[in-house]
Amino acid sequence: MAYRVLITDDSPAMRAFVRRVIELSGFELSACFEAGDGAEALAVLKSEWVDAILTDINMPGVDGEELLRRLAADEMLRGIPAIVISTDATANRIARLLALGARGYVTKPFHPETLRAELERTLGVPCD
Amino acid sequence: MTDITILPALSSAVSEVLERMFFLEALGEAVEPAPEAETVTIQIAFEGDPAGSFQMRVARKAADAIAADFLGEDPETLTCQQRTDVTLELGNMICGSVLSRMESSASFRLGSPRAVEGEEAMRSQPGDTRYTVETGSGTLTVSIRMEERTCPSTPRFAS
Repeated sequence: MAYRVLITDDSPAMRAFVRRVIELSGFELSACFEAGDGAEALAVLKSEWVDAILTDINMPGVDGEELLRRLAADEMLRGIPAIVISTDATANRIARLLALGARGYVTKPFHPETLRAELERTLGVPCD
Repeated sequence: MTDITILPALSSAVSEVLERMFFLEALGEAVEPAPEAETVTIQIAFEGDPAGSFQMRVARKAADAIAADFLGEDPETLTCQQRTDVTLELGNMICGSVLSRMESSASFRLGSPRAVEGEEAMRSQPGDTRYTVETGSGTLTVSIRMEERTCPSTPRFAS
């Protein structure tokens, strides 16, 4: 089965890297959308359905925390699992983001397999 | 001046970020190049307990090789913007990784990384903890400066 994902990060380089890592890991994508911040992500979600959202926290404009709040407040979007990808590995921050509705949390730097495993866990993909 | 409590976090963060995200093995500690060497420099201010600033200076040739590896592109076809974006992201990840090691039970907030040039890029101040590593295509130097805590009983910053 192939999945549709949305990558939200203000760094174009990081968006390209995440996409590349997902593809190299063998995780099958049927579509991959990109957004530079939470506002752009919400705009994409108005016209495209995705299976999962991967999001950074610190972004100008609508940041990752606010994106999670807005997803949770939207009846149509709250069911889409969001995974946070961040350099911040502090316990407070992880607990806060999970409380806001994040279904997964991947700390940078990460091994490619870690990202794939978190995507599969979040989407309930059966193990090989 | 080097703070022996910060240095291990700095060296571990550099090695881990290069290995996991850039598929590069750090080749060991190196001598910091002269300030006038051809380098790319970025700075990041951060809030937390304590607050401070981070700087990374990387040889231009190393920055090019790192960007190419990160994006899976040929170094010859990379644009200036791609090189800059990857260097900013590299600094962001190293800084975040250092702070996560030092402030594991608190929170911090990173400012946006920015490229700096000229005198600002060469400035080194007492209190900086510095670490230089050889990447195989040039050196990478990171330095971090923590502001002194004004009151030891101040509650930890939570963002």
